[in-house]
Amino acid sequence: MSARRRMLLKVIILGDSGVGKTSLMNQYVNRKFSNQYKATIGADFLTKEIQFEDRLFTLQIWDTAGQERFQSLGVAFYRGADCCVLVYDVNVMKSFDNLNNWREEFLIQASPSDPENFPFVVLGNKVDVDGGNSRVVSEKKARAWCASKGNIPYFETSAKEGFNVEAAFECIAKNALKNEPDEEIYLPDTIDVAGGRQQRSSGCEC
Amino acid sequence: MQEAELHDLSDDPDYVASQQQGSGGSENQKCTRKSNGPTEPNGSEVVYSKDNVAIHPTQYASERISGRLQLIKRDLSLFMTWIPYKQSASYGVGQGSRVKLPEKDRNLYTIRAVPLTDVRSIRRHTPTLGWQYIIMVLTSGLAFPPLYFYNGGVREFLATLKQHVFLVRSADDANVFLVNDLQDPLQRSLSSLELPRAVPVANVASSSSSLASVHSDDNSNQRSNADYHDSSFSPTESVGRHRQKVRDPARDLSIQVLEKFSLVTKFARETTSHLLRESQIFDNIGGYEKQQQVHSSPVKNQVGGDPVSQELQDKNQIISDPLEKIACRNGKLCEAAATLVGTFELIDSKEAEQQSLVWGKPRLPPLGHEEWATFLDEEGRIVDSKALRKRIFYGGVEHGLRKEVWKFLLGYNEFHSTYAEREFLETMKRSEYETIKHQWQSISPAQARRFAKFKERKSLIEKDVVRTDRSIPFYDGDENPNVGLLRDILLTFSFYNFDLGYCQGMSDLLSPILFVMEDESEAFWCFVSLMERLGPNFNRDQNGMHSQLLALSKLVEFLDSPLHCYLRQADCLNFFFCFRWILIQFKREFVYEKTMRLWEVLWTHYLSEHFHLYMCVAILKKHRKKIIEERMDFDTLLKFINELSCHITLEATLKDAEALCIIAGENKAACIPPGTPPSLPVEGGLLE
Repeated sequence: MSARRRMLLKVIILGDSGVGKTSLMNQYVNRKFSNQYKATIGADFLTKEIQFEDRLFTLQIWDTAGQERFQSLGVAFYRGADCCVLVYDVNVMKSFDNLNNWREEFLIQASPSDPENFPFVVLGNKVDVDGGNSRVVSEKKARAWCASKGNIPYFETSAKEGFNVEAAFECIAKNALKNEPDEEIYLPDTIDVAGGRQQRSSGCEC
Repeated sequence: MQEAELHDLSDDPDYVASQQQGSGGSENQKCTRKSNGPTEPNGSEVVYSKDNVAIHPTQYASERISGRLQLIKRDLSLFMTWIPYKQSASYGVGQGSRVKLPEKDRNLYTIRAVPLTDVRSIRRHTPTLGWQYIIMVLTSGLAFPPLYFYNGGVREFLATLKQHVFLVRSADDANVFLVNDLQDPLQRSLSSLELPRAVPVANVASSSSSLASVHSDDNSNQRSNADYHDSSFSPTESVGRHRQKVRDPARDLSIQVLEKFSLVTKFARETTSHLLRESQIFDNIGGYEKQQQVHSSPVKNQVGGDPVSQELQDKNQIISDPLEKIACRNGKLCEAAATLVGTFELIDSKEAEQQSLVWGKPRLPPLGHEEWATFLDEEGRIVDSKALRKRIFYGGVEHGLRKEVWKFLLGYNEFHSTYAEREFLETMKRSEYETIKHQWQSISPAQARRFAKFKERKSLIEKDVVRTDRSIPFYDGDENPNVGLLRDILLTFSFYNFDLGYCQGMSDLLSPILFVMEDESEAFWCFVSLMERLGPNFNRDQNGMHSQLLALSKLVEFLDSPLHCYLRQADCLNFFFCFRWILIQFKREFVYEKTMRLWEVLWTHYLSEHFHLYMCVAILKKHRKKIIEERMDFDTLLKFINELSCHITLEATLKDAEALCIIAGENKAACIPPGTPPSLPVEGGLLE
């Protein structure tokens, strides 16, 4: 099917303050890293055109303030999301412990139609720090948590070094796409619904 | 020509000029061909003509402008014109120090063929002393300045009007006459400021009657006007020049200039704001922006503090032949209306950016040391704090003086305190600061392990200070001690106000304060004072933010209803796209120096405690055309707003905001409920 109509895939990045949400987004979209990012106030997003199986998509990646005090804003930013990325810092236990809060808060505020199957992706960021010596959350522990929440795909990343960022977002895009067919039905002249649905089975657990 | 009946006009130069000129000075009235004859060559008929109807742009008698008011009928529609007499050359000499208005300025007031369908209401004033006058408010919300009938004749004017258009006395005010008061449910739903108990009537203009049922009031009238100019009628030469265009922009311009002056004149301001309450929304900002877009001559002769002469200069910059376009989409109601009004918008241009967009007072140079000294008495008291706040509101403060002045603006120092009292306070506060600071410094690592809240708070602050303004020399480089000071002050604050604690954005607010104070304790106490006002921004329930966003929404509704209408349609009325602006007082939107300038202006609370909200409206209004034309949805709008960062011209925006604040007038109370941050509790210090 041709890219007759470019589809928008909306992705929300959540996680504690300072885990690297803005950096991950910028690394993926602009392939840049800076130590000078300021704390995100409110929300912002970047977009990236991606191609998947002959179709073009616009990936809209939302970066939000990490402090829980601003969570009530989420209702404005989360709606219509196709995928939610939960980020923690492998060197900060608390940021991992909070993943569940972020996930639940998202489900409450975005209120997706099918919360059980809403696609999440978890990223353990900052694996580069101190050569991994300051790490406090093991990969095993993180994967176990992801498995317990309905096999959430998991990636270990370094936004600073660009490690695994591309792969992670590829998976994020695919998962966002999985969430899309529902909306595609509403497009009057979209006929390739079945084809779109087949993509669902192509998981991206890496 | 009639003689003045009741009032001695011999001292009025305009009157005399008009006498000299006589009633048949068609040569001098280049703007109008309809000088004498009741029937115009092109088939229009003068149904009313009154000489010596004047406008008073300023309080100076020498600057009054006399002219001829006429009602002209063409087909089924009635038009009003007011053409100033050409100024006699013999005048302007020997008038004392005041010089008469230049011809160009006088002509700015010219009212060229306003269809009565564009008129919303007419307020009649018949003071026992002085001249009768009327104020006309247009459906667009714009108003003409008072038209003074030196020879009387207001009653006759209204009587003539009544023969041709539907005129009905307002139920609320016997001196207010509503013109062509449409009653269309759809249209009514578009306006939140409808006239109470208005009488239904069909639109007088046949050309617009078909549209009236579909479009908003404003829209239909504009359209009827547009349609009219698309056809053949051209009441004046100057209008005729534009006849190939969709409508007559020159007319709009003159209206806006007039409206500007109607606001400058205090009297008129009161009247128009009163009328506003029952009429529609003012829309002069956008209109003035358009003027800026079209004129290109910079201010010729800089004038200092005299607002009147500055205003005259402002007028000088206006010409009346802008390019005009109307992109009227067939979309939804709101959109069509908004697009039409959106034609009064600024097209981005560097030049326009640099100049003031409205009739806000001229910005002054920042307050310097010498002038500052004049505000202090021998013992260091600020004698007239209001004058000081006013001075700073209009110009800011030189950087070297900020350290001293900010403490007053923030309320850390009392205006009436003496040098000695302030010195004492500083000593006391320094020791108090150390005490609070010691509270967290004394927490041992072992204790911290059992103090999750503290650890969490500390780590949050540490994460933020290292990413706060690190490109500013004061904070740049590794191991910069000032970054450590930011951390210490914020941590101390989170113990000073443990309930509020630390929240992202606070480091942004503290950074310039520490930069200015260059002293830990002083910076801390100034920050404390600021947080007295802005603390609610960071409340857990976000109520402080929500109340400000709600107030902003109401202000936009009042000051820019087309935009509000569009935002409603686009489901953007939560105004979250302005969240960052409000949370940290535009800290991320301007470069460092400009942020400090803005803050000291905001902190004066001179015109309003909520001046930052008018800043928001001013910026949104400036970009309204783009927002609406590009049909921005929430996402796009948020992105657009975020990307305005460092592309906002501070001085022009301040002037716009000032104008909006004045326009809002008493209505601001209805838009901004008491207690909306940064309002202090009743016993607050800065307010009067």
